[in-house]
Amino acid sequence: MKNIVMAWRSILRHGRRTIVTVSALVLGLAGLVVFQGFLGQMMQGFRDGMILSGIGHLQVAANAKYFVDGEFNPFPYSLADSKALSDSLAREPGVMAVFPSTGFVAVAGIGDKSATLLVKAYPPDRMYFSSGSGVVTPPSDKFNLGALVAGAGLKTEDRDKLVVGEIAARVLGAKVGDVLTLMAILPGGNLEGRDFTVSGIFSSPGKDKSFAYTDYATASSFIRMPQPPVLIVLARNIASVPRIAQSLPAGLAHRTWRDLATLFVQVSSIIGSFLTVIRLIILLVTLFILANSMNRSVLERMREWGTLRAIGTKKRDILSLILWEGGLQGLLGALAGTALGFIISWIIDASGGLSYHSGAQSYAVMVRPGLDSVWLSVIPAVLTAGLAALVPGIRAIRLTPSRCLREA
Amino acid sequence: MELIRIENGQKHYQLEKAEIPALEGINLVISPGERVCLMGPSGSGKSTLLNIIGCVDTLSEGRIVIAGNDASSLKDAQLSEFRNRTMGFVFQTFNLIPVLSVFENVEYPLLLQRVPKTERGARVMELLERVGLKDFHRRGPERLSGGQRQREAIARALVTRPRLVIADEPTAALDHATGKAIMELMVEMNYSAGSTLVFATHDPAVARYAGRLLTMTDGRIVEDREVA
Repeated sequence: MKNIVMAWRSILRHGRRTIVTVSALVLGLAGLVVFQGFLGQMMQGFRDGMILSGIGHLQVAANAKYFVDGEFNPFPYSLADSKALSDSLAREPGVMAVFPSTGFVAVAGIGDKSATLLVKAYPPDRMYFSSGSGVVTPPSDKFNLGALVAGAGLKTEDRDKLVVGEIAARVLGAKVGDVLTLMAILPGGNLEGRDFTVSGIFSSPGKDKSFAYTDYATASSFIRMPQPPVLIVLARNIASVPRIAQSLPAGLAHRTWRDLATLFVQVSSIIGSFLTVIRLIILLVTLFILANSMNRSVLERMREWGTLRAIGTKKRDILSLILWEGGLQGLLGALAGTALGFIISWIIDASGGLSYHSGAQSYAVMVRPGLDSVWLSVIPAVLTAGLAALVPGIRAIRLTPSRCLREA
Repeated sequence: MELIRIENGQKHYQLEKAEIPALEGINLVISPGERVCLMGPSGSGKSTLLNIIGCVDTLSEGRIVIAGNDASSLKDAQLSEFRNRTMGFVFQTFNLIPVLSVFENVEYPLLLQRVPKTERGARVMELLERVGLKDFHRRGPERLSGGQRQREAIARALVTRPRLVIADEPTAALDHATGKAIMELMVEMNYSAGSTLVFATHDPAVARYAGRLLTMTDGRIVEDREVA
């Protein structure tokens, strides 16, 4: 205990040196905490964005093969008694919404123009298309399917209406209010056709070219499939997804958002590695600065080591004292850096966060570092600082007391 | 009855490729309770001999036995404990630990001995009272005068009730009057504690406090005599 007290007083006694030494750590970690908070929120937004782009938190199908080839070929995968299953799932704690979905491929024609469309269908009250300009906050209980560039989304009572991707609409020369004829091949080779009115035109990267959305009831009757191939579950929070999945009756197949949002998992892993590299660079810089500072401190305090050894202090206690000095500087720098990071994050948040723009719309990204930033900063920093003090410490105890006293 | 015995003590320092002799053929016996002064010019080997006696350095050749312990046979940790239990040190530049208060500096050797807190407190305060620093026990050493610092160092040296006190030029950093007061205090406390005092000086006025005077030249003891 005495060693900790002496180490603490020593670093306070050499205040200026301590400040210079720990400042690299403070600034580095503060930057890292803010950056981590920003990336964390970005990734959370990215994750939620992917989930609400049409994946949902959980998808339940009759057969696992649906997840391989059933999205636009639902016919072999009819989910029997989906209403009872949907009601049962909706009663599970943590479930916000359960709704059916289907999809099909159709050739759309208008006048002398035609294009192949991938049509996805959900209940209209679960579809959201943003519109207008300024800061957008999409709802969390609907799929956010893109930004409207013309017309409107689908209302609950709408039937036989489509919201078409911008490029597909351009290829077809379709405008809001135009009628598109959709032709789909059903099981057994039957060709089914129906007229759909263009309710709106949307823009969404990657989906503009070939996607269109309609309401589930229309799609279900058009492809003559009274039962959906899949039920989509939206959870109140991510953490409840595994428990909801466990509550499913045996014999059903399911995929969680994590299984389906492969891009998010890959990007998340890359960003995690990136943060680790930045953290290592900061710790490496700290290691060199602290080792240099500790080395100077040890050399300047030869008389102290000689005296302590002469009056009976053992080598291991002197090494412990020096390691404590390094470790405490690391702890001090890590705590100060983390605190500074949280303060900067709070200031950024209080001023509305950082925004990024997508067309006319902008999205605010808050900077909210998690509590894991604290231990992810403190533990490595203390260990690094201890390591930085190790070599000077060993150097100090390898000298004889008389040599320390002579060279003081 | 003897406290210290050195037989054919030799000490050499290696300076690049040259070997520099610091002590040559030292044969010395010091009995308990003696006050021994090492005198001689700078570089005569006084401090080296004190370091050897204080077990903070080792002989290159020869043997030193202190209180029945052959110092060369003790391992480093054992030597540390031996120094802590057997010896007290007073240095020319006081060598107080700057981050510890007056009380804590004197208490430190007792902490190493794991003396219980209440006993530590009592022993430290008793010694601080004897050296006239009781009212300064919370201060840091840097807020004391030179004489007060040396008195504090004496209290630290004696707090473990050592059998041997080693003082290297204890008055060299002090003015004449303060130096005289320090020597009187050291001799008086040494006498009352019954410990052996070995000190080095090149000041004849300080040497007068010894009962035995060893004169050193070129690493050898050239004169060993009792003084009145």
